[in-house]
Amino acid sequence: MSEKLKQIINKQAKQSEELSIDHSEDIVQLVGFVIGEEEYAVPILSIQEIIKPISWTRVPQTPKYILGVFNLRGSVIPLIDLRTKFGLGSKKHNEETRFFVLKEGDDVAGFVIDRLTMALRISKKNIGPAPDTMAGDGSLIDGVGKQEDRILTILKVNKLLERDF
Amino acid sequence: MDEFQEILQDFLVESFELIEQLDQDLVELENTPEDLELLNGIFRVAHTIKGASSFLNFDVLTHLTHHMEDILNKARHGEIVLNAEIMDVVLESIDLMKALLHKIRDTSSDAGIDVAECVVKLDKISGGDGKVEIPVAKATPITEPTPAKEEASVDEDEPDYENMDPDEIEAEIERLLNKRQDEDKAKRAAKIAAGESVPEAPPEPDAVEPEKKPEPTPEPEPEPTSAPVPVAPRAAPARASEDDDAKAAAPAKRAPATVEQTIRVDVKRLDHLMNLIGELVLAKNRLIKINVDVEERYEGEEFLEELNQVVSIVSLVTTDLQIAVMKTRMLPIGKVFNKFPRMIRDLTRELNKKMELEIHGEDTELDKSIVEEIGDPLVHIIRNSCDHGIEMPDVRVAAGKPESGTVILKAYNEGNHIVIQIDDDGKGLDTEMLKNKSLDKGVITEKEADSMTEKEAFALIFKPGFSTAASVTSVSGRGVGMDVVKTNIEKLNGIIDIESEVGKGTSIKLKIPLTLAIIQALLVGVQEEHYAIPLASVLETVRISREEIYTVENRSVMRLRDDVLSLVHIGDIFEVERILDGSEHAYVVVLGLGASKLGLIVDSLVGQEEIVIKSLGDYLTGIEGIAGATIRGDGGVTLIVDVAALMHMAKGVKATALVERGGGASASKEKTKASDYTIMIVDDSKTDRMIMRKSLEPLGVTLVEASDGQEALNILKQGEKNFDAMLIDIEMPRMDGYTLATEIKKYNRYKNLPLIAVTSRTGKSDRMRGVESGMVEYITKPYSADYLSSVVQRNVNFKSEFL
Repeated sequence: MSEKLKQIINKQAKQSEELSIDHSEDIVQLVGFVIGEEEYAVPILSIQEIIKPISWTRVPQTPKYILGVFNLRGSVIPLIDLRTKFGLGSKKHNEETRFFVLKEGDDVAGFVIDRLTMALRISKKNIGPAPDTMAGDGSLIDGVGKQEDRILTILKVNKLLERDF
Repeated sequence: MDEFQEILQDFLVESFELIEQLDQDLVELENTPEDLELLNGIFRVAHTIKGASSFLNFDVLTHLTHHMEDILNKARHGEIVLNAEIMDVVLESIDLMKALLHKIRDTSSDAGIDVAECVVKLDKISGGDGKVEIPVAKATPITEPTPAKEEASVDEDEPDYENMDPDEIEAEIERLLNKRQDEDKAKRAAKIAAGESVPEAPPEPDAVEPEKKPEPTPEPEPEPTSAPVPVAPRAAPARASEDDDAKAAAPAKRAPATVEQTIRVDVKRLDHLMNLIGELVLAKNRLIKINVDVEERYEGEEFLEELNQVVSIVSLVTTDLQIAVMKTRMLPIGKVFNKFPRMIRDLTRELNKKMELEIHGEDTELDKSIVEEIGDPLVHIIRNSCDHGIEMPDVRVAAGKPESGTVILKAYNEGNHIVIQIDDDGKGLDTEMLKNKSLDKGVITEKEADSMTEKEAFALIFKPGFSTAASVTSVSGRGVGMDVVKTNIEKLNGIIDIESEVGKGTSIKLKIPLTLAIIQALLVGVQEEHYAIPLASVLETVRISREEIYTVENRSVMRLRDDVLSLVHIGDIFEVERILDGSEHAYVVVLGLGASKLGLIVDSLVGQEEIVIKSLGDYLTGIEGIAGATIRGDGGVTLIVDVAALMHMAKGVKATALVERGGGASASKEKTKASDYTIMIVDDSKTDRMIMRKSLEPLGVTLVEASDGQEALNILKQGEKNFDAMLIDIEMPRMDGYTLATEIKKYNRYKNLPLIAVTSRTGKSDRMRGVESGMVEYITKPYSADYLSSVVQRNVNFKSEFL
């Protein structure tokens, strides 16, 4: 069993090596998730962790999309509901709901998403710019990725983590 | 280079410490010019800094300290008497010295600050002609052997010095050393002759000795490589003898032993340690909570005893550890107090008043971060006391007071707090004058002025834009100072208390918590939320009934003994949705901060707990009313109330607190069709639920099912639907019908919701219990479908046209 496991691991390692050597320049690794009807994605390296929903504490004097703060192994981290933020109206958390903990520099925040889809590699040439109407510094959208029959909206992590109230 | 940086760091830390001491000593010296011990101490400080700075090639600094040292040296030998004018110049040069040190700290160079003018002044006093060489030119070896020697030993390492003949240097060193030793011998002989016992320790040997260390250590390094063998061993004793000179001989031998007593530690490391302790405290809280849970569940089991013991030991050790680490961060407040004698002296001359400063309790310790914050407020308060409090000498004499005013600065511990008290025997605060002044400036309204208590009037001095001085002086009166005091003290969760009597003086008390990172907090509950209030700001808690709350001009107030206390509901401040209606009683947490008070109404008091303050992170900083968060024993996050902000917010909150809300949210909307009626069926048996459903379906009403009391309650709490009636079974798992009914009736909005018991229990006592818990109807199983339907129709006022 362990032999087999080793083989698989070796194979995977080799594969990923090949991939990273060949395409390290133009491959982006993303994690996709669903909010409402749309599929979104963020770079895999910006994700600190993905956890199942836990209890949180409401923080007063904040916009509605900020659910509050939660305890992640001793750190107090803000929790943001992306449904509300995207104007979709809140939904009860269910089995598929996850907290996405994103991190950039010292900024950390948790985001509630409806459902996780998958981690994917997408080549840079398959990523188009954000639609003109949505582009610009103020926009949350970094670009639109196409893979097979799917279209992913890639979000700017730094914008998500930026306080906008 | 790193080595140089390290030495430089040591030098700076040492110099700043020494200079702080210097300021205080000099002022003291002015009062007792003949105190030789003190003078020696001061001379040593100047000397040490000069020596070290010349070693590090800070020529400007060396130049300045050298001239300062000259004066001190002369004073030491009785050639000059230090009077106020000389002191002014010396103090000025110390200020320059500080400026230079700051410059060195920031830029690693002492260039850019002009000391020439001051040096000329110094030189004139010391009897020179005022013509002083520019700083770059080193002092000649004859007048100043030490730096020259040091410079030589350093310079030997530098490549551009190589072309100089090494023999020349050696000869020079040797000559100087000999000269120095002779001088020392002569001096010591003179001292002994003068009756001064040589081995006697100088005033603060402990303070000076360890500081001395960095100076000799770096010195021998260049020598073994560059200097010929015979010189090296001689240099060291020479150095020692110089130390002897400076420290009156004895301490030099003791030095190595005392050095081991202290270690300089980077503050960052201490902060890190404190954070770790914080985590440990949280873990401890959690452990205690778990222990309680386990105790409940496994009552009587043997291992409990053991667990209990371990938990107690862990909690005990954690507490001790916390105290110990806190102590490592403690600094004596003397560090702040030290600068005040100098300030008072300067003010005396500036304001032409006579004042004395008395300092008590400078050994009282408090957290480093607080020591750093407390300086500015104290400066403002003391300046204020000197400028506005203490009268001019003639006025004082006329009032029958001693000509010289006294400002007393003292610090002492009181429980978990440190109290800093600033008393003056000046003219005191005149409440009428304060009120009139505030009225003029538009700080308060006439109405407010009339209803003001004495304390409130005193507190006016902290209002922004207020100043009691008739004229603005450079010292105070710009109306910003005291405002700053208030904000800074509040930032530290401190309380300000003012007492004053016209003609007698004023006493200002600052009550500050010992530490900021881990605090005691009162946990309060509002609806289902908890908040932590720093215990330092809690004066008391009282339980009141609704009738004790009065509404005055749309604000809630209550009478607390002789005072009127304004009230605010925590739910109004933190936008807590009030579903659950409290009982007839409420708890009021009386908050005190600075000089103001506020009553905070809460639903419940949870208890006192030690909490660790954590920041909410960048994303949520600056939320008004929230100072941070803490993690509780159950792993949940509890927000910490920012009492200062809360008091500010309370002003804008209307008195909705405890005012009855008519109707509530359940005030049902107009029913336009049968399905607008929503009825919940609560029964653990699926069959029973089915039967009820079948009975009611013909009506066309919306039906929601719950399989036990808990589930039903959760559905209600979500508040997604407005229910018109509930059919409740009595015997259910998790939560039975009676409990459910009692719980539901606690909610304001469900007060009038008809609850219908559907049960097979037929006993009279069962019926009674049903009524007690708030059921309006009691249907016994089995029942006919029509009967159930008619009962429901009656209770929901079912409109007959829908039938």
